[in-house]
Amino acid sequence: MENRPLEYDYTVAKLFMYNTIFVGIVGMLVGVILAWQMAFPGVNTFLGVNLAEYTNFGRLRPLHTDSVIYGFVLSGVWSSWYYIGQRVLKVSMAESKFLMFVGKAHFWIYMAASIVIVISLLFGITSSKEYSEFEWPLDAGIVIIWVLWGISIFGLIGIRREKSLYISIWYFIATFLAVAMLHIFNNAEVPTWLIAPGVGSWYHSVSMYAGTNDALVQWWFGHNAVAFVLTTPIIAMIYYFLPKESGQAVYSYKLSLLAFWGLMFVYLWAGGHHLLFSTVPDWMQTMGSVFSVVLILPSWGSAINMLLTMKGEWQQVAASPLIKFMIMASTFYMFSTLEGPIQAIKSVNALAHFTDWIVGHVHDGALGWVGFMVIAAMFHMAPRIFKREIYSKSLMGTQFWIQTLGVILYFTSMWIAGITQGMMWRAHDEFGNLAYSFIDTVAVLHPYFTIRAVGGTLYLVGMFMFAYNMYKTMTSSRVVEESELQNATPMGA
Amino acid sequence: MNKTVLAAIAVIVAMLGATYLAVGTAGGIGGDGGLVNKLAVLGAVVLVIVTTFVVTKYVRQMQNDTASGKLADENWDGIGEYKNELPFGWAVIFLGSIVWAIWYFLAGYPVNSYSQIGEYNKEVTVHDVKFNEQYKNMDDETLKEMGGSIFIVQCAPCHGLQADGLGGKAADLHERISAESVKHVLMNGSSNNLLGTSMPMPDRNGLLNTNTNALITDAEIDAVSKYVAGGLKATEGADVFAGACAACHGADGKGMEMVAPNIAEMSPAMIDMVLNHGKKGAMGTMPAFTNLTEVQHKAVDAYVSSLSKK
Amino acid sequence: MFHWLEKNPFFFAVAVFVVIAFAGLVEILPNFAQASRPIVGAKPYSTLELTGRLVYIKNSCNACHSQLIRPFKSETDRYGHYSTSGEYAYDRPFLWGSKRTGPDLMRVGNYRTTDWHENHMRNPAEVVPGSIMPAYTWMFTNVADVDTAYAEQLTIQKLFGVPYNAELPMADGSKATVALADTLDGARASALEEAKLIAADMKDQGVKDAVAAGQVPEIVALIAYLNRLK
Ligand code: HEC
Ligand code: HEC
Ligand code: HEC
Ligand code: HEM
Ligand code: HEM
Ligand SMILES: [Ca+2]
Ligand SMILES: [Ca+2]
Ligand SMILES: [Cu+2]
Repeated sequence: MENRPLEYDYTVAKLFMYNTIFVGIVGMLVGVILAWQMAFPGVNTFLGVNLAEYTNFGRLRPLHTDSVIYGFVLSGVWSSWYYIGQRVLKVSMAESKFLMFVGKAHFWIYMAASIVIVISLLFGITSSKEYSEFEWPLDAGIVIIWVLWGISIFGLIGIRREKSLYISIWYFIATFLAVAMLHIFNNAEVPTWLIAPGVGSWYHSVSMYAGTNDALVQWWFGHNAVAFVLTTPIIAMIYYFLPKESGQAVYSYKLSLLAFWGLMFVYLWAGGHHLLFSTVPDWMQTMGSVFSVVLILPSWGSAINMLLTMKGEWQQVAASPLIKFMIMASTFYMFSTLEGPIQAIKSVNALAHFTDWIVGHVHDGALGWVGFMVIAAMFHMAPRIFKREIYSKSLMGTQFWIQTLGVILYFTSMWIAGITQGMMWRAHDEFGNLAYSFIDTVAVLHPYFTIRAVGGTLYLVGMFMFAYNMYKTMTSSRVVEESELQNATPMGA
Repeated sequence: MNKTVLAAIAVIVAMLGATYLAVGTAGGIGGDGGLVNKLAVLGAVVLVIVTTFVVTKYVRQMQNDTASGKLADENWDGIGEYKNELPFGWAVIFLGSIVWAIWYFLAGYPVNSYSQIGEYNKEVTVHDVKFNEQYKNMDDETLKEMGGSIFIVQCAPCHGLQADGLGGKAADLHERISAESVKHVLMNGSSNNLLGTSMPMPDRNGLLNTNTNALITDAEIDAVSKYVAGGLKATEGADVFAGACAACHGADGKGMEMVAPNIAEMSPAMIDMVLNHGKKGAMGTMPAFTNLTEVQHKAVDAYVSSLSKK
Repeated sequence: MFHWLEKNPFFFAVAVFVVIAFAGLVEILPNFAQASRPIVGAKPYSTLELTGRLVYIKNSCNACHSQLIRPFKSETDRYGHYSTSGEYAYDRPFLWGSKRTGPDLMRVGNYRTTDWHENHMRNPAEVVPGSIMPAYTWMFTNVADVDTAYAEQLTIQKLFGVPYNAELPMADGSKATVALADTLDGARASALEEAKLIAADMKDQGVKDAVAAGQVPEIVALIAYLNRLK
């Protein structure tokens, strides 16, 4: 029994995989539109003046952030969970009808909620809180989705054969718990319908917190949403896919351990760096700064552990575009987790806050780290799920370079734009008056906004290549044997 | 040299070049941006160099080293785990950062003795002392220049960079007043505190033309509006002005103290009233500018009144 | 110990939760009561202003505009006095934003006026050449949701004790009262009264006609809100 290979059931992983690819393209298309709107505001009316209410920058921006984060990334995470979970716990979803049902319910309720979210954001139904825009009925839906995922995690763990939890599982558990906590507290709100039934829209609500307190809770949430949606589950993925794909053992258990518990402890304190020089008390701000700097080490711990796992394996990095994606992801992870702490230093934040440098930081994390890792995960899983080799290795390689170029154009242009704008806002002339009117500081950014838009478009082109390659892999590439699926992913030319 | 190292150097050089460019565009790292500008640039530089350096180090290990170590007993889906020690540098810096954090709280930067508002007050005081000293006695040219610099930031959003009022959205400051505006005042009266008191200008129902001994008529309003807008130089409308307006505004239209403002030309005093009280008229409403200092007011007055003197 | 935890998922999860929940308690709770105290001069939003605030949120103006003036000379020169905590006591949700694609709006009511906003919202680039802000033409015809704003007022009055219909001390020593109607019709009527004052300073005939006919276009509510930001 122990030695017979299990037949893993990837039904749910597959569903989430389709959605990852689809929403990845849609969400990034919206991002590309936003980028062009900032370079050329005429794009705000790209579907005509009459539809501008639904296509202008303000309406589309939350649609972009929510669809890439909660559509593309979370689908990728869940696809990976329904794949990795079974394999490192050594149980199959097929063994439990209940868990299978939960998994499918998880997916379909999530899809239903996603559709409602897209529609509601287009109509401007938002609570304005960044990354938590949804009104209370959707908040409730999200709780259901999350609970279903929790049941899936702990259900699968409950019937596991592998007693000891693999590192990836640690990170999945942390993701589940932290987001649950954050979501509930940040969405403490009262539907107006409770107090004034029948007056105005039924889905409207008021935050339980006001002003500074609201900001404090929101950025405790916002920062840790980054931590537990764009970081911990992605680490869960790289800890599985990189060693698996390369056939190498993880470099150091001790490092895994310290990096994990270090990250858990330190991350939650750092949210204050979003509120520097605001009206929250000085000591909280200082705390946010200090912990951000300490946070470099646990963050780099995982990245270094992954890079060291590839010790002596350069020929694999050189040969496999899939491994390239993961090595580049680690690199960008290191970059953004050093950049973040630097931006969290008060004096640096005084310049960087509110500027495009922050947006640059966001995207070298989001595109270089998160995006690449999700793409790598899909490429690794597809042949195992569909029993076909990757349709084209050279297409994958081309995608890698195009997207890398895209990320570089994105973050370099935003880096320059941010520093330029930050300095111009602060500049005084010889008389001690402000040297630039606001519009001066907008006008200089035009070239950088254009470069960013080009970079983003390249990244999107890469997404289309990815989708095409995956489509061909699912439908028409060479069928492979189980024996070809041990480590390095089989790829066609 | 190894290709990787070359690539690393290329990345560093490119990013530092880009940063140099940014700093250049924004007017340089020195100036009054001070510590913040310097630290931000330093941060940017450190970020690129450290990341590139460290990643290159590990890439070199991929190229030249071999994996080794004792494997743990467990194995997950074929993935093993070495029991290697922590990378030394990482562990030391981690520990160091924790020690630093504790020191920072307790000694280096005691949490309760720093206040951002205190820092702000200091910044402003230092600035004020310096500038009050430097610009105590300004000549007219300097005053105008300073006013121009304020105008670009504070006024241009409404009056336009050229101070032309953006096609009637705000007053064209190259002339005293437009015909529509005069007409609007005559039809509606005006109470903009232009004299610093709440003395209003009556509307047409209070404007007696002493030439005809009747209230001012539509045709007369049109004529005198054009006359005033034209700078009181034409012949048409002059009689109406003399009959209905001169009593308050003076025969030359230059106003009388405490009675009526100068409507023949832009005067610093009138502009200052607008800055202090705002102004509501035919084109719209201008807000008051009480946040500017006295010197700044003087400067703006000088600059704006110079615009209409050709 | 860690090895043991890795074999005992329940305790593992508890340990993780304790570690992550700890920071929140220490960081967030201590200041809670103090930060929600209004400063002298802070007033709750009137029905029309709150309606405008909902329009602001609906269109995610906060995606490009902050409402937080940091205590730096460069910011106070540009935008006015730095922000203080008590000024936000009636802001649910807060609208500080995190990106300044456009300027801060915390005190925009001090240095922009109704007619300027009217021109600017209809076509920003015409007022500020080179502006990349979108034109909000539909706001001139969409009717604003006064009812929801009223429901929100009732909610915050009842649950959070927001002082409507009460005398509040102002900075200059005077008193001010923000009225809240007893009935929905009353609220609609008071919003309309406020709207008439705004519309009188506007030029758009369509807007004037709508207000005269008893409707409140979104732009009117939005301008009421922007004028109130001081
Ligand atoms: C009873 C005295 C009086 C008479 C008569 C009078 N004005 Fe005035 N006028 C004033 C006062 C006082 C003001 C300033 C009102 C204010 O502060 O807004 C004023 C303001 C004005 C302004 C506005 C200046 C600006 O920059 O907005 C114009 C234009 C003007 N008068 C034109 C006329 C003309 C033309 C006539 C004759 C047809 C006339 N006035 C007759 C007292 C008078
Ligand atoms: C929010 C828009 C706005 C801003 C900002 C603004 N103005 Fe104005 N200003 C106006 C409008 C509108 C008028 C015309 C009012 C009227 O119709 O009479 C005006 C009128 C004036 C006038 C009177 C002209 C006349 O002949 O009656 C002066 C002087 C003036 N502005 C100077 C300034 C200066 C100096 C600044 C900057 C410190 C400034 N304005 C900023 C909107 C603005
Ligand atoms: C794409 C980004 C963007 C969005 C979305 C946006 N704005 Fe702007 N806004 C700008 C820029 C850039 C400026 C500066 C140039 C200008 O004045 O037009 C600006 C300027 C302004 C100003 C003038 C402030 C000043 O100090 O001059 C106001 C008021 C304003 N916006 C209000 C709004 C409102 C209300 C909304 C939402 C309904 C909104 N904006 C949405 C980008 C944006
Ligand atoms: C050590 C780790 C990190 C630290 C200390 C950190 C720090 C920061 C800081 C200081 C800001 C700017 C706050 C401001 O001034 O507005 C920021 C913004 C942001 N960071 Fe990070 N960062 C880290 C890692 C990451 C990673 C890995 C991602 C993944 C993509 C990420 C995503 C974001 C996002 C999305 C924002 C924007 C938040 C907003 O909307 O304002 N960060 N971070
Ligand atoms: C083709 C790729 C993409 C492009 C062109 C793009 C473009 C943009 C643009 C133009 C903005 C608005 C910036 C601003 O307001 O100044 C933005 C914001 C944002 N995007 Fe993207 N994006 C892309 C992909 C992604 C991905 C994959 C993620 C996450 C996984 C992501 C996460 C975010 C976040 C979190 C913000 C908000 C940043 C902030 O508030 O600081 N984006 N993006
Ligand atoms: Ca919510
Ligand atoms: Ca943001
Ligand atoms: Cu953060």
